[in-house]
Amino acid sequence: MNIAQQIINGLVLGSGYALIAIGWTVLLGAARLVNFAHGQLYMLGAFTAWAIMQKLGLSYFVAVPLAVLVLGLVGVVLQGMMLRLVMEQNLTSLMIVTLGFGYVFQGGAAKVFGGDPQAFISPVETASIRFGELWFTWQDVITLAGTLLLFAALWLVMNRTRLGAVVRCVAEDPKLAQLFGINAALVYIGVFVFECAAVALAAGLVAPRSPILTSMGFDEVILTFVVVVLGGIGSVGGSLLAGFGLGMFTALFGALVSPAYTTAAAFLVLLAVLVLRPRGFAAR
Amino acid sequence: MMKKHSTSFALLLAALAYFVPTVAGGAPAAYTACTTIAILAVMSYGADLILSYLGEVSLGHTIFWAAGGYAAAMLAVNLGWNGWATAGAAVGVSIVLASVLGLATLRPRAFVFSLVTYAAAVVAMEVAFNWSFLGGSDGIVGVPPLSLTLFGWGVAGASNVELWPVAWLLLLVTLLFIHRFRRSRLGTSALMVQMNPDLATALGIDAHKVRFAVFIVSAPISALAGWLYAYQRAYVGPDMFESYFLVLMLTAIVIVGRRLLLGPLVGTALIIVQQMFFSIGGDGDKIVLGTVLAAILLLWPKGLVGVWDFLTVRMAMRAGSSQS
Repeated sequence: MNIAQQIINGLVLGSGYALIAIGWTVLLGAARLVNFAHGQLYMLGAFTAWAIMQKLGLSYFVAVPLAVLVLGLVGVVLQGMMLRLVMEQNLTSLMIVTLGFGYVFQGGAAKVFGGDPQAFISPVETASIRFGELWFTWQDVITLAGTLLLFAALWLVMNRTRLGAVVRCVAEDPKLAQLFGINAALVYIGVFVFECAAVALAAGLVAPRSPILTSMGFDEVILTFVVVVLGGIGSVGGSLLAGFGLGMFTALFGALVSPAYTTAAAFLVLLAVLVLRPRGFAAR
Repeated sequence: MMKKHSTSFALLLAALAYFVPTVAGGAPAAYTACTTIAILAVMSYGADLILSYLGEVSLGHTIFWAAGGYAAAMLAVNLGWNGWATAGAAVGVSIVLASVLGLATLRPRAFVFSLVTYAAAVVAMEVAFNWSFLGGSDGIVGVPPLSLTLFGWGVAGASNVELWPVAWLLLLVTLLFIHRFRRSRLGTSALMVQMNPDLATALGIDAHKVRFAVFIVSAPISALAGWLYAYQRAYVGPDMFESYFLVLMLTAIVIVGRRLLLGPLVGTALIIVQQMFFSIGGDGDKIVLGTVLAAILLLWPKGLVGVWDFLTVRMAMRAGSSQS
C-alpha cells in the first residue's frame, strides 16, 4: 500500500465528486430545489456523448461539449414544465416530480440505448503518467484542472458579478427580488440549465473511468449527496472542500478497510455530521 | 352527513373486496393480481402517513419494506420461525431502523430529510448486496409456506389463492389503522404541524416529536407488507430496494389524491392492473409510471379527485348560470 498513490487517487476521486455535485449545489442553493433526477441526468450526459461518438463518428473533444449543449436544452424543457411549482416553492411536489422524471429517463434510455454496458472511451484515459511508483492518467489531470477552473469561475461569478448577486438575491428572497424588478423565473431556468450542463460536463470527464450503463443513475452519484450536505447547502467553496475530503476518505477507506463498504462508511459519516452539525460544516 | 358516512362506506367497500377475485372469475391470475395489489397498497400506506399527513417526502420506506421481507425470510429459512414470530420480528426491526433514521434527521431542514432517507435506501441496498449474512446479491431463496394459526384455526400456504385471505386481512387492518390514525391526537397534530407550524407550536405541540412519532408509526406498516411479499415470492433479494417500489408508492399516493383513505389502494390497483394486463414491456412501464407521477403533480396537484372536483364545479356553475 502506497500512501502517496492513495492520496493521488483521493484527489482524483474527490475532484470527480465535486464536479458532479457542483450543478446540484448551485441549484439547491438558489432554487431550494432538490433534483432527484441528478443521477439520471449524469447517465444521460454520458450516453449522449457516447452516442455522438458512436453514431456520428465525432471525436471525444467535440462530443462532450455537444452533450453539454444537449443537456442544457433538456434543462430548459424540464424547468419550463416545473416552473409553476418552482414559483410556488412547492418543494414537496417538486422532489417527487424530479423523481418521476428520473424514472422516465431511465426507462427511456434503456429503450433507446439498450441495456448492455457500453465503453465510453476518452482518448486521454489510456495516456498515463508515471513518477516511479506513482501512476495516474491524463484524464485525471484534465478532470482535476477542469474542476478547479470551474469552481474558481463559479466563485467569481457568484461573488463578484452582478449576475451572481441577482442569483443570490433570488435565493435569499424570491418575492423581494421580484419587487426589485428581477425576473425570478428566468433565474430559476438559468440555474437549472447550469445544473444540467454541469452534470453533462462531469459525465464527460468522469464517466470514461468505467463502462456506462443506462441503469447507473443514482447509485453513481450517491456520494454527491454527501458532498452537497456536508459542504453546507448551496456553498460553492464548501462543496469543493467536501468533495476532496470525501475523495480522500473513500480512497483511504477503500485501501485500508474494505472497498465494498466505502459508500456505507461515507454515509455513516454523513449521519454523524447531521446529528452533530445539522447544517453542514460550512454553515454560518 | 355524507362526509360522516363516507368513511364507514369506504371501509365496507374494502371489506367486500374480499370477493373481488371470485367475482373476477376465480382464475389464479385474478388472485395473483389482488394479492399483489393488497400487499403493495399496504406498503404505500406506510409512505402515505408521511406524505399525506406530515407533508414530507420519505424516500426511505423501501428500507422498511425490504427489512420486513428480509426479517421474514431469514428467520423462516434459518430458524424455522412461524408467521406470527416473523411478523413480530419484521415490526421490531423496522422500528429500530426508523428510530436511527428518524433521530439523525430530526433537526435538519425538510429537504435534507428526503435526501438522507433516499441516500439511506441506496446504502442499505449496497449493504444487502455485499453482506453474505443477508444473502448477498443472491438474496435468500426457499422461504417456506406461510403458516399462521390462532386457536387451532388458521391459514397455511404459499400460493396466491391461499395467501389472498391474509393479504386482504392485512389490508383491512391497515385501513382501520389509518382511519384511527386520522382521528387520533397524533394524526391531527401531524396535520397541524404541516398546515400551520406556528399555531402548532403555540398550542404546545413539539413538531420534532410529532415528526419522529409519525415516522416510527409508519415504518411497521411497510414492513408488514414486505413480510407478506417474502412469502408470496418465496424469495427476497436486494431488488426489494429498487426505485421501482419507491416510485410505485409515491405514484399510488398522489394519483387519486392525498389524504384520502382509499387513495393509495385505488392508486396501487390502477398501476398494477396496467402492469399486469396492459404492460408495454419493462422499460415502457417505467416510462408510463414516471410520466404519470410527474404529470399528475404538474397538471393536477390534487390528483384525479381534483379533476373530479373541477368538473363538478364547472357543471354546477353551468347549471347555476342557466337557471338565472
